[in-house]
Amino acid sequence: MAVFQEQVKPTGAVMVVGGGISGMQSALDLAEAGFRVYLVDRAPAIGGTMARLDKTFPTNDCAMCIMSPKLVDCGRHLDIEIITGATVKEVAGEPGALKVRLEQRPRYVELEKCTACGDCTRVCPVDVPNEFDAGLGSRKAIYKLYSQATPNAFAIEKNGVSPCRAACPAGVNAHGYVALARAGKWNEAWELIRRALPFPSVCGRVCNHPCEEECYRAQIDAPVAIRTLKRYITHRAMDGAAREPRQPSGRPVAIVGAGPAGLTCAAQLARRGYAPTVFEALPVPGGMMRVGIPEYRLPKDLVAREVALVEQEGVKITTSRALGRDFSIDDLFVQGFAAVFLALGAHQSQQLGIPGEDLPGVLPAIPFLREVALGSRPVLGGRVAVIGGGNTAMDAARTARRLGAAHVTIVYRRTEGEITALPEEIAEAREEGIEFLMLASPLAFSGTGRLESISCIRNRLGEPDASGRRRPLPVPGSEFTLKVDTAIVAVGQRTDPEVLARLGLELTRWGTIAADRTTMATSRPGVFAGGDVVTGPSMLVDAVGDGNAAALAIDAYLRGDGSASLAVRPARERVVESRANPGLTPRARRVTPRLLDVERRVSSFEEVALSLTEEEAMAEAARCLNCAVCCECQQCVAVCGPKAIDHGDAVRIRELDVGAVILSPGFDLFDARARTEYGYGIYPNVVSSMEFERMLSASGPFQGHVTRPSDGQEPRRVAFIQCVGSRDTECGQEYCSAVCCMYATKEAIIAQEHIPGLAATVFYMDVRAFGKEFEYYYSRAQADHGIRYEKCVVSTVKELQVNKNLVLRFRRADGTMGEEEFDLVVLSLGLRPPASARELAAAAGVQLDEYGFCVSPALSPGATSRPGVFVAGAFREPKDIPETVIDASCAAARAAELLSPARGTLTRKKEYPPEKDVTGRPPRVGVFVCHCGINIGSVIDVPSVVNFASRLPGVVWAEEFLFTCSQDSIERMVQRIEEHALNRVVVASCTPRTHEALFRESIRAAGLNPYLFELANIREQSSWVHRFDSRAATAKARDLVSMAVAKARLLQPIAGQEFTIDHSALVVGGGASGMAAALSLAGQGFQVHLVEKEAALGGNLRHLQRTLEGDDVGAVLDDLIAAMRSHPLISVHLESTVVSTSGYLGNYATRIQGPDGELEVKHGVVLLATGASEGRSPEYGLGRHPAVLTQLEFEERLAAGELPGTVAMIQCAGSREPGRPYCSRICCSEAVKNALYLKELSPGSTVVVFYRDVRTYGFKEKYYRKAREQGVIFVQYDVEEKPTVRYSGAGIEVEALDPVLGERILVRPDYLVLSTGVVPNDNAHLSQVFKVPLTQDGFYSEAHLKLRPVEFAADGIYLCGLAHGPKLLEESLAQARAAAVRAVGLLAKPVVTGKGSVARVNARRCTACGLCVNACPYDARAIDAKTGAAEVRAILCQGCGACVVACPSGASELKGFEKRQIMAMIDAALAEEV
Amino acid sequence: MKYSYYPGCSLGATAREYDLSTHAVCSHLGVELAELEDWSCCGASSAHSTNHVLAGALPARNIALAQEAGHDLVVPCAACYNRLKRTDSLLAEDPRQRRELEELCQFTYTGTVAVRSLLELMDAVGLSRIQEAVVRPLSGLKLAPYYGCLLVRPASVRRGDNPDHPRALDQIMEAAGATVCHWSYKTDCCGGALSIARAGIVKELVDKILDMAVDAGASALVTACPLCVANLEMRRSRRHTLPVLYFTELLAVAMGLEGTRAWFRKHLVDPYPLLRSLGLVG
Repeated sequence: MAVFQEQVKPTGAVMVVGGGISGMQSALDLAEAGFRVYLVDRAPAIGGTMARLDKTFPTNDCAMCIMSPKLVDCGRHLDIEIITGATVKEVAGEPGALKVRLEQRPRYVELEKCTACGDCTRVCPVDVPNEFDAGLGSRKAIYKLYSQATPNAFAIEKNGVSPCRAACPAGVNAHGYVALARAGKWNEAWELIRRALPFPSVCGRVCNHPCEEECYRAQIDAPVAIRTLKRYITHRAMDGAAREPRQPSGRPVAIVGAGPAGLTCAAQLARRGYAPTVFEALPVPGGMMRVGIPEYRLPKDLVAREVALVEQEGVKITTSRALGRDFSIDDLFVQGFAAVFLALGAHQSQQLGIPGEDLPGVLPAIPFLREVALGSRPVLGGRVAVIGGGNTAMDAARTARRLGAAHVTIVYRRTEGEITALPEEIAEAREEGIEFLMLASPLAFSGTGRLESISCIRNRLGEPDASGRRRPLPVPGSEFTLKVDTAIVAVGQRTDPEVLARLGLELTRWGTIAADRTTMATSRPGVFAGGDVVTGPSMLVDAVGDGNAAALAIDAYLRGDGSASLAVRPARERVVESRANPGLTPRARRVTPRLLDVERRVSSFEEVALSLTEEEAMAEAARCLNCAVCCECQQCVAVCGPKAIDHGDAVRIRELDVGAVILSPGFDLFDARARTEYGYGIYPNVVSSMEFERMLSASGPFQGHVTRPSDGQEPRRVAFIQCVGSRDTECGQEYCSAVCCMYATKEAIIAQEHIPGLAATVFYMDVRAFGKEFEYYYSRAQADHGIRYEKCVVSTVKELQVNKNLVLRFRRADGTMGEEEFDLVVLSLGLRPPASARELAAAAGVQLDEYGFCVSPALSPGATSRPGVFVAGAFREPKDIPETVIDASCAAARAAELLSPARGTLTRKKEYPPEKDVTGRPPRVGVFVCHCGINIGSVIDVPSVVNFASRLPGVVWAEEFLFTCSQDSIERMVQRIEEHALNRVVVASCTPRTHEALFRESIRAAGLNPYLFELANIREQSSWVHRFDSRAATAKARDLVSMAVAKARLLQPIAGQEFTIDHSALVVGGGASGMAAALSLAGQGFQVHLVEKEAALGGNLRHLQRTLEGDDVGAVLDDLIAAMRSHPLISVHLESTVVSTSGYLGNYATRIQGPDGELEVKHGVVLLATGASEGRSPEYGLGRHPAVLTQLEFEERLAAGELPGTVAMIQCAGSREPGRPYCSRICCSEAVKNALYLKELSPGSTVVVFYRDVRTYGFKEKYYRKAREQGVIFVQYDVEEKPTVRYSGAGIEVEALDPVLGERILVRPDYLVLSTGVVPNDNAHLSQVFKVPLTQDGFYSEAHLKLRPVEFAADGIYLCGLAHGPKLLEESLAQARAAAVRAVGLLAKPVVTGKGSVARVNARRCTACGLCVNACPYDARAIDAKTGAAEVRAILCQGCGACVVACPSGASELKGFEKRQIMAMIDAALAEEV
Repeated sequence: MKYSYYPGCSLGATAREYDLSTHAVCSHLGVELAELEDWSCCGASSAHSTNHVLAGALPARNIALAQEAGHDLVVPCAACYNRLKRTDSLLAEDPRQRRELEELCQFTYTGTVAVRSLLELMDAVGLSRIQEAVVRPLSGLKLAPYYGCLLVRPASVRRGDNPDHPRALDQIMEAAGATVCHWSYKTDCCGGALSIARAGIVKELVDKILDMAVDAGASALVTACPLCVANLEMRRSRRHTLPVLYFTELLAVAMGLEGTRAWFRKHLVDPYPLLRSLGLVG
C-alpha cells in the first residue's frame, strides 16, 4: 500500500489498457467505485476475445449474450471514456500521479457523427479477410468489428497506399479502380480514373503500366492485369459519359500543345475554375496519342472521344496554331493569359548521322507514323528495315507490315535482353512475321537516286553503359549488306531545336526546356513546362503526370499559395509492405486478352487486342490483394448521410493524467503453422479452434452452419488435437494454456448440437477440467454426448486427395500405433502473450517473464514490477474467463486502494433542467420516424408512416429524420419538445437495446421525465425481416407506431427511489481470503467487521508451509495478521459466529455470538469467506495406518525435518468419483510441490505419483516438468483400475499397472501420501441466514459462473476464497480483493438509487399467498407481517416482471408496463386502420 | 558459377542417369561442376548408425577437401547431403566436436564453403533463369513431387523450406511447365536403408506413397534422391505402374537437351511411354 506525503493527493483517474472482458470489468469496478476511467484498446471497438466466442463452458451460455450488458454499461458510463485504436507510448511519473502518452490511430470516421447505419459498407468495394472471424469470410475496408461493437461506429482500415497507386506517374488510383471493377462498379471506376487521367481508354491500351511492375501479386503468381482492366472499365463506362459541358469562367490560362500533358493540365485547370485555351500546331488535337501510336494499337476515334470529354470540362482547343510560327509567349501574355504551360512534345525524329540518311527511301519514324495516322498510305516496297529497338520501332515495323511490306526486319544494335520495347509488343511483332536482326548497326545507306541497301556491321556486347545496359561494340571485319527498299529510322525523338531556341527560356544541356520537376516553373515567371519538351521522349503516363503537376503548380502560382502541396502521387514512404503469402494465397491465372487473328492483323489497321468479358474482368480484379486495405475510392464519403467520414484524419497524441494504470491487453493465439506436421494453412480441412468457434457462432461467417472448408459438406467425424502451442518446449510454449481442454470439449458438444450424430474425438495429454463445475461438464461430454477422449500425441496429419479427409497418426496409451480418418480437424491453439506485449511493457515500464507474459508476484496478485501499474487477465498467465474477471476486479481493487484519497474527485455528473410536471395534463405526443439511412427508408414508406402517425389521437407533432440518433436530429427533437409543448415522445426506429437509453436521456435534457418515452422498433421488427415486401412492412410499421402511441398516451413519470446505506462491511471468515478482503475494504476507507469462528486468524494458512513457487506462507500469514491488528477501520470478532441477520442490501443488522455473548452489528454489505477443508476419505487406509498421510500432513512432516527415502502419492483420493465428483483443482500442484520439496531436501529420495490426469494448469506446468526432470515418477492410472494398497506389518505396498510399461509395478514407500482434495465447510447455516444458494457440492453458488464470480444474485452479498470452490492461495487472495472492490461499488455511493421501472403491489388485492416471493430471483419480495401483504424491496428489484406473471390476483404490477398500457397497445394493434 | 561436385557412391552406379542429367542441366544453365578431388564415402549407409566417430569424420574429410577447393559443395544424393549438411552444422555450432573432427581430419574448419543440395543449387540459379531455359514446357505432365525424408530434415539444419510441406521441387517443376499435384506424402519415408534388410516394411511404405500419388492424380513421381528412386522402382507391388524420375531428367527434357532417351533406359520403370504419350519426347 503506497503512502503519500500528506499534502499530495493522488489523481482520481485510472487508465485501463485493453478492452476485453478483463479491461471492461476493471473499468466498471473503478467507475462504480468513484474513479474516472480511460479504457484504451488497440482495436476499433472493445470486447476482446470474448466477443468472438460462440458459447462459454460449462454453462453453454452465449458469450455475446452474457457479455453485451457489460459492453453497454461501459459504453454508457459517464465516468468511462473509451479510447479506441490507441497504443500506450509512455507511462511517466510516480504511483498516484502518472502521465500516460497515447498514440491514437486515425479512425477516419467521426464517432460522434457515425450512426452505424452501415450504408458505407454496402458501397465499399474492398473485401479483405475478416480477422474477427479468424480470417473466415470477409469484411469491407470500412467496417464495424462486430455487430454489437462498442463504440457502435464504423472505422476504416488504412495501411498506407498500395504499391500500384504510388507507382503511377500520373497519380491514378489503380487500387481504387481495380477494387471498384471487382465490385462491377464500372462507372464509379471510370470516374475515379478520370480524376487523374483524362485518357483512360488510351492508357488502357498503350500505357507501359509501371503499376503492374510494383504489384505485390507478382510474389504469388503474376501481377494483376491493371491496364487490361482499365481498358475494360472504359469499354463499359464511356458510353454513358456524356454530360453537360462546363462553361469556362475564371482566369484564362494558355496551354501550348494538345498532347497528353497539355490536355491533362487543361482539364484539371478547368475543374479548378480556370478558363484554359490549348494551342495545337497540328491540324488535330491529341499529340502522340493521335499521330504517334498506330491505329491497330489505339483506335483514333477513342482519342477523339476522350479529347471531346476534355473539351466538355470547359477547355477550348485551337488547332493549327504553332508556337514560334503563329505566335510567341509574349503574345500570350499580351492577350491576357495569366499563365502559360508549354507542352510541345517531341515530334521530330533523331537522326543516325550516317552517310545516305537523306536518300529517298530513308524515312524518319515519327513523321512516317504521323502521316499514316493522318490518313496517307505511303508505298514502301517489299523489303523494309526498321532501325531501332524501342516501341516506336515496333510501331513503325508493324505499320510497314500493314502497308504491304512482305519482309520487315528490325535492325537493333544490342540483343533482345536490352531492347526497350514492351515484351508483348515484341511478341506480337514476331507473330506478324517481323524479323529481328540483333547485334547489328547500320554504317551507311546507299543507292542511286533511291535507297537500295544498307551496309551494316555486327556487334558484340561490352561493359554496361550509363543506362545499365551492355554497350554494343562493333566486331571488326563483320561488315555485311542488307538489301532493302525502305529504311525507317526509329532511334529517338526530340522537340524541334529551332523552336526551342527562339523561346527565350533557359534550356538544359540536352536541349530540353529547363523546368523545376516539382513546381514545373521555367526560367520565366508565369511560364511552366512539362511532358517530353522537358523530360525528353517519355511515356504517356509521365506526360499526364506532368500535366497534373502543372495544373497544381499553376493553381498555386495564381492563388499565390506557396505552401500548397504539389504532389501528384502518394509519397513512396506511404507504400505498404507486402503481406503477400506465397504459400497460402491460392494461385490464380492472370488474364491474357485474346488477340485478333494474325492474318487479319497484317492486312488491316484493326485493333489487335480484344476486350475481356465481364466475368474475366471481375475475376481478374478479384486477384487484387488489397495491399493497403482502404483504396480511398471515396465511395463511402458519397453515401454517408451524417457526413461522418474524413479520409484526412490523422494520428493523434494524447497525454492523460492518471493515478494508476491497469494492463489487460489479453492474449494472442498460437500460430498453428509453426507445427507443420498438422498441415494448418495447407490442408483446408484443418482449422484452428478460433475458426471453429466462429463457424459455430450464429453471428459468424456461416451463420452457425458448420461446414468443411474444402467442399462445404457437414463434417461427420471431427478430431480435436490438444496442446497445439501448449506444453511444447520445442516451439517455446512450455506452459499449459489452461483453457483448451474445456473449450475443445465445449466446441465438441456444441458441434454435436449443430450436427446431430457428429462423432467427436479429442486427442489429449491430460484433460485439465480443473475449474468449478468443469469435471461435471467433462463427464457429461463423455456420458451424454459420447465424445471420445484419446490420450495420446498425434504425430502427423495427412490429407487424402480423393476426398480431402484427414488421416491422423498417433500412438495410443498402450503403445500401439493408430491411424484414423476424419472429415475435419480442429487444432486447439494455445495462448501466447499479445503481439503488443513487448512494446506495451517497455512503454509501461513493467517486466515480462521468460515467456513474454507480465511478471506478477504470485502472492501479490495484480501487482507488476512497477508500483502504480497493475495487471489483469491473460496478460499475466493464460486463464479462463472467471479467473480473468476476478483478476480484473482484483487489479481494480489495488488501484482503488492506492487512489482511495482521490475517490470521487474526477467523476462526472450530468446536470439536467428541472423536470416538468405533466400530471393531469392531456397527452401531447410527438412521433419521430427514422429512415436509418436506407435501412428503414428503402423498405418502409416513411412519409406515409409520418402522415399516419400525425393523425393518431394525442399526436400533435410527427416528423421524419434520416438518422434520429444523430446529434443534429437529437437537438431538433429537443427543440420540437419545447416548440410544441410535447409531453410524451415516440421514436420509431431501431432496437431499444442500443438506443432507448439515448432517447430517454435526450428527452430528460428537454425537461421531460425519461419514462415518458416509447420506442417502436420498425427496423428489426419490420424493415429488416420484411425487406422484400414494402407494402406489408409499411403497414406493420404503422401498427407498431400506433401501438407505441397508444401506450405513450398512458405513460406516467417514474422516479427511481433513493436509499441511504450503511457504509460498512461484514466479512465472515478470517482465513487468507477473509483477511485480504477486509484489508482491501479498509484500505479503500470502509469500516469492516470480521467474524472468525476459531480463536486465531489464518484458517488453512496455518497448516501450509510454502507455495509451489517457493514463497514462504508463514511470512504471508504474519504480514496479514499484523496488518489486520494495526488497521483502525477493522474490528475482529474471534471465536464468533453469525446467528441471524435482518435487513437487506445497504442496511443489514447481523447478530453475532461471541465469547462474551451476542452482539448486533450494522453493515451495508456482506462478504462470505468461510473457507473449506482438506478432505479425509478413509480410502487407501487414511486414518488407519500411521504411514498414510494427506498432502498437508506430509508437508508439515517435511517442514519438521523428516526425510523419507521413498514416497508414493495417490492423486484423486476420493475425488472425481461418485460421492465427490468434482476436481479439487489444487492437488496436482500440491503433490508436485511436495515432491519437489522432498527432492530438494533429499535428492536421492524416490517419489512415485499415481495420477489420473496431471492438472498443473498455466505456469504450474513448469514445475511438473521440473519434477519429471528431477526424477519424480508419474504413473497414470484409470479409475476402473486404481492402485491397490496393502499393509505388511509396518510397511506399505502400492501396486498399480504402468500403462507405459504395460506391466504392474510395485512400490514400497515409507509414506503413502494421499491427495484427498478440498471439501466445503458446513455452509448450510449461513446459506440459510443470508438466503444464498449452494452448489450440489456444498460450495456457495455465485451469481454467474463466468461473469459474476464474486457476488451472489442478490445485490450486496459477495463471496471469495475456498468457500466459492477449491483454489490456490494466490487465487483466493485475488478473489478476496475482487469481492472487496465489488462491494465498494455500492459502499462508495452516498445513496443508492433503485431502478425506476420496478414492481409495486396493490395491497388491497394481495392475498399474501407468497407466490411472488418464490418467483423473485433477486430476493426483492417479502410478506410484510404487519400489513399482511407482499412488499417490494425496491432497492433490490430489477424490474424483470416475474412477480407480475406469478401473481394470481393481479396485485403485482410493473411500473412502465402497466396492465392498461399493455391493453391499450393490444387494442391499437387490433384496431382497424384509421 | 562454379561448384565442387560430390557425386557419392550411387551417382556412379545405380543413379548414373541422375549424374548425367545433373551435369547436362547444370552445364546448360551455365553452372560449372568440378568433381571433388579424392572424395570419399559420406558414411550414409551404415557408418552413421554404427560408429559415432566415423559418422562425423567421413563427411568432415570431404568438407575439408571442399574447403581446400574453395567452392561451395553440391551434393545431389539426399543421403550424402544429409550427412554432409549435418556435419557441417556440427562443425559450425559445436566447438567441442569441431576440435575433435579437425584433429581427426587434420584441417581447420573455416565455414567458408556451403553444402548445397541440388535443389538449393537451383534456388541459387533462380526460377526465372530455369524458366527462360525451357523450350519444351512439360505441359500435361502431372507430377507428384517426392522429397523423401532426408532432403528437408532436420528442420533446424535445413532451414527455409517447410519441413513437412516443402515447395522447392514443386516450384522447379512448375517453372518447367509441369502440373504439380498437391499431396501430403511428399516427405514420408520410403524405407531408405532398410531396403535390403527389411524389404517387407519398405514395400508397405513404397506402396502407400505410390497409392497416394495416384490418388493425387499424378502420372509420375519426381524426386531428387537416388535411394528413393531405387526403392520406389524396386520395392513396389506389381499393380503400380507409375514411373519415377529425377527432376534433372525432366529439366533436361524441358530444356530440349540431348541424351534423355539413354537415361530413361536405366530406370526399372520406363518413363518413356508416358513422356512420349504427352509428346514431350520424340
